[in-house]
Amino acid sequence: MEALEEKEEVEQPPEDVISLRISDFLDELELDAEQASVRSNETEFDWSSIDTSNLPSSYKTNSRQEKKLLQLADHFLQQYSHLCPDRKPLFIHPLNECGVQKFVSTTVRPTLLPYPDMYYWSGCASFVSNYLIMEPLKCPITPPSSLYSPTTIVKYQRGNCFDFSVLLCSLLVGAGYDAYCVHGYATLEMCSMDQTQEVCPRLKKPPEEPVEEDPNKYKIKYPSEPKSQFELQQKAKEEEEAKPTQEEEKEEEVVEEVEKPKRDSLHGLRVHAWVLVLSGKRKVPETFFINPFTGNSHSTKDECFLGIESIWNDKNYWVNMQDCRNGCKDLSFDLSNHFCWEIMFPESNEDSQLPTESPKDSTDDMQEKKKISSSFEMPLSWVERIKVSSQEYENPFPRGKKVILYDKAKQEKWAAYANTDGMVERLTVYADSDRTEELEVKEWFEHRKDLLYMREVNHQTQLITDHFNPGHPLLLKAHTYTSLEPETGHTVEFYHKARVDGLWKRSETATEMTEYFEEREDLLHKRHIKFGEREQGMEMAGTAEANARPIVQIREYFHRNPKKPADEDVEERVFKVIDDVIQLTYHLEIYDIIPSKVVFARVIGREKREGEVFLSRENTVKYQPWSSEKHKNMRYLYNLLWELRAEQKDLKQLVRDSEAEMLNILAVRENEEANIKLAVSIYSTAQRDQRIASILEAEERSSQNSSEKKSQQTGEEDESVTQHTATNSTT
Amino acid sequence: MTQFFNNIEPNVIDDEILQKAIEEKCPEDLGDIARKESINIKVVTEIQISFKNILQIANLWPLENLTKLQLDNNVIEKIEGLESLVHLVWLDLSFNNIEVIEGLDTLVKLQDLSLYSNRISTIEHMDTLQELQIFSIGNNNLTMLENVIYLRRLKSLQTLNLSGNPFCSEEHYRLFVVAHLPSLVYLDFKLVRKSTAKAAALKYQHLTKPLEEEEAQVLALQEEEDAKQKELEQQQAAFVEYLNGPFLFDSLHEEEGEAAKLVSLPGVEELLQAYKEEFVSVCESLYNYGLEEYEKREAEVSKFYKRLHEILAVNQEESKRIISDFETRNETRLDELYQDGSGEIADSKRAQGKEEIQQLWHALMLLETLVSNDLEELLQDFKRSLDVIASTFTENIQGMFNQCRDLENQHFENVMEIVQAILKKIALFELEEDFPEDLRALFEDKITVVNITSVSHSIRLRKIDKRESDMLSNTYQWQKSVREKAFQRESDRNRTCIEKIICFMDTLQKELDSTVVKPKE
Repeated sequence: MEALEEKEEVEQPPEDVISLRISDFLDELELDAEQASVRSNETEFDWSSIDTSNLPSSYKTNSRQEKKLLQLADHFLQQYSHLCPDRKPLFIHPLNECGVQKFVSTTVRPTLLPYPDMYYWSGCASFVSNYLIMEPLKCPITPPSSLYSPTTIVKYQRGNCFDFSVLLCSLLVGAGYDAYCVHGYATLEMCSMDQTQEVCPRLKKPPEEPVEEDPNKYKIKYPSEPKSQFELQQKAKEEEEAKPTQEEEKEEEVVEEVEKPKRDSLHGLRVHAWVLVLSGKRKVPETFFINPFTGNSHSTKDECFLGIESIWNDKNYWVNMQDCRNGCKDLSFDLSNHFCWEIMFPESNEDSQLPTESPKDSTDDMQEKKKISSSFEMPLSWVERIKVSSQEYENPFPRGKKVILYDKAKQEKWAAYANTDGMVERLTVYADSDRTEELEVKEWFEHRKDLLYMREVNHQTQLITDHFNPGHPLLLKAHTYTSLEPETGHTVEFYHKARVDGLWKRSETATEMTEYFEEREDLLHKRHIKFGEREQGMEMAGTAEANARPIVQIREYFHRNPKKPADEDVEERVFKVIDDVIQLTYHLEIYDIIPSKVVFARVIGREKREGEVFLSRENTVKYQPWSSEKHKNMRYLYNLLWELRAEQKDLKQLVRDSEAEMLNILAVRENEEANIKLAVSIYSTAQRDQRIASILEAEERSSQNSSEKKSQQTGEEDESVTQHTATNSTT
Repeated sequence: MTQFFNNIEPNVIDDEILQKAIEEKCPEDLGDIARKESINIKVVTEIQISFKNILQIANLWPLENLTKLQLDNNVIEKIEGLESLVHLVWLDLSFNNIEVIEGLDTLVKLQDLSLYSNRISTIEHMDTLQELQIFSIGNNNLTMLENVIYLRRLKSLQTLNLSGNPFCSEEHYRLFVVAHLPSLVYLDFKLVRKSTAKAAALKYQHLTKPLEEEEAQVLALQEEEDAKQKELEQQQAAFVEYLNGPFLFDSLHEEEGEAAKLVSLPGVEELLQAYKEEFVSVCESLYNYGLEEYEKREAEVSKFYKRLHEILAVNQEESKRIISDFETRNETRLDELYQDGSGEIADSKRAQGKEEIQQLWHALMLLETLVSNDLEELLQDFKRSLDVIASTFTENIQGMFNQCRDLENQHFENVMEIVQAILKKIALFELEEDFPEDLRALFEDKITVVNITSVSHSIRLRKIDKRESDMLSNTYQWQKSVREKAFQRESDRNRTCIEKIICFMDTLQKELDSTVVKPKE
């Protein structure tokens, strides 16, 4: 202990010097304002007030092995500062929460938490980023002087980037990944968890595959109109004259855009810690970084990472000997390469090569080190097992919700069951960078009985789209609407595989209804219905049937049935219900261009026209000279007519059924929205049941409240959030 | 039945009966034109001549398109005169006096056949009725239960009625039938239950097993034959049939006659062996090359047709767009004209309509011209690539056949040498003692032996030439037929397309012209 304290004293001065220097620097750069703004958001947490008395003894003392380890580390550090005098001191043995110096590798405590998601890096990373509150480093350009144990960090749910990284690394190593904590440098945005320059990952569109226009694709080349050569020349001249001015304008714009992101005066000096995952173990195909603040993965070539000082995990400690002037782009992550990575404790089975750049005078020391280290084994971590209860795991957000600001977007997250309507995430997209004008709101839901999982509200078109998981009793997949009133423009999509009629989409307005089908035996794929206006007088009758919109026209489209000859295979059927005309248009053979048609008409109150033939006393038919032989057979046509008449009757009924179905859907949806129920898994624990009970209570209270509050729209901020959707649907 | 005989004279189907039967089928409110047309004997699809005391079926041949024929409750004694009614699906001959099943061989589309209540004693002559699903032969004179096995060959048979036959009273009649006709769904108006089928199958296992095995064998043989046939067809398409082995070589050495004896000359055997090996290897390479080229040709042709269809599809889309544009306008105009077909407005409307029809005509014709130009270009390209393919193929196979000829020549020279040597020996009386006797006779005359050898050589050369010329002419034929088909198709398409456009215009024009003033009521 004495030796240690001595050393601390020895090391104190340079740190102080640095921090002093830095603080001067900061003053100069007038960065105080920025710092203050970051801090003002967070209520300052006093780490000195934390209770360390209950911590086990391993936290408060060093074992013999650990002491030896620290000695070795100091030795390494001395040599390092001797060999590389212009590099910053390594982050090797900071103090822990009890003020004891601990080697960083022993702070990593490999743990596998008993939750399925925690077996994968993405689960671990998002948990860490969600569970902890981020604190900026005290001084942005030096590593912290202390590094607390992951257990303490989990307990108080806050920490700086080093705490985040150590916790994440512990979880990843526990899950079997080849993970390392990294001490290095990154951009201001990365260090301060500022994502306002980034596009929200939810909004990132998958790179659109360029629709490759087949150059050989046949197009009809119409001969172009003759043009005056002179006029063309004149035009070209004019354009050329106009061009330079345009280009200038463009250049200006470009310059403006480049200047937009503020130049960071500390660029390249800001200390950050993150996690490196090497390829190989757990079938990781490629080496990548994880930013612990966001839980996002980054390529090792990402420009946000500006350099690496050292990396460590529970086994060892490596110092980066590569040039970082170009960021991390060109770094090699082959840790066995001694030119690139100087290892602190060479693995015993390897013949470690001495770095050639080391001068002769240090060879003795190095050899000595080698002798010791070959017999050296990393002591077990002094940290207790990391524990996260299932309640804490399922409710990870330290303040109930988490808000992330992105470029022109805001993302909010809640724990499941935190909101009575099941909302777990809301993404608001804004038109401008100041986030004043909302463009679009997307809300995600979980555990809803009505299987709603997402709602999109587009403020430009005023359209609301609900998306459902499979299994809704009405087989709903999506529902687009402006309001839940009938006949105001609804588009409903279904999980059509479960439907007998193969309907997958239906859109309805006051005057039209279009239905889309798939995988039907009769190859029908689209049905379009035109409605007329309701007759005013009919309302007197009062019955539902009388109040129906009159059907003006039904139009059906069919795919080609390869079993039939093309001119006997109907492509389009039009039933003009009011005019009493039925029109059939047939498919075309590939080499043909003019389809054949058959038109049936009723002659009552209408004169027979040219080309029409009396089929019976009341019905005429018209066909074209190139119609198939079959369609010139009167008997065939006669039978066809009666078949079609019967079908028209059925179709009318079908349309009425569809209308009724739409009304039913709207009624059901309205009912579901009015009292939202959340499903509780049968595997849930008692704690969750408790929570559900409390939620139910709250719901009852709120429903009472809301009835009272109807007149006074304003409410407390917290409650208005929970009631958000409920109020939405009722108003 | 006998009462009828006594009272009414039996009839033969004649025109009068037919006419009556056709008219009976007409719906009452059918329009006059439609009625006249539907009486046209050619378009009749259904006819019923029941209870007419018909004795003989005759005069039905003009009803080409008949699909349903009912001749029940007559006194027909013989099935005849139905051969030309090949579209029949439904044939009812129940309640007649038929004794033998016959005359149904051409009715391959028949699905439903009723011979209920006749005097038939054997089920026979139904091998071609593979579509038959429902067969009623109840109330007949069937006595041999084994006769039912005949129906096994009707693979589509689902419903069978045998009730009222003498053999129905036999024990296990039903089980026997079910066991032997496992595809049956209904027997004697009753559903065949799964349990019954199972029990029957178990009970008559010993009888059905050998039958099944036999059928399976026949089927396997058939399949094998088919596969072989298919392979041969493919080879023929590649013009290399019988080249993948020693077939050609063997055919060269058929019908050798006297020359075959030369094989037993010392040394010739080995020569022949070596010759055969080389020859066969050349044939093999020819075969493989032929198959390769075949693939290439097919690929070229399908490439052409793909492109052709692409162009036609675009053409279709474009013309559809043009026509539908026109039609929406035309329809409203015509409606308006029908509403009010006179006056200045109507006249101007009519003129406008005429103008638009002209425009449509121009648009469609322009499109057709452009498309047919492009197709012409495509066809020329296709023709060129066909030429290239065919000529390279011809050249290469000619080279290979030359190899064959060289081999033959070489072999001939070698044999000739041996013959000369032997002749020399004979001249010097040095011939070995063990020289075969029949050859000795052959070698008696020097000219004969040389002649025999050279004749057989020239025969073989000619055979090779024949094979070569077959192949070349096949190639040429292929080239020609593919090319001509493509060109013919295009010119047909072009012609019908223009015809159709003209026809379309005519129709539209007529429609426009004939809009008359609606009489005011």
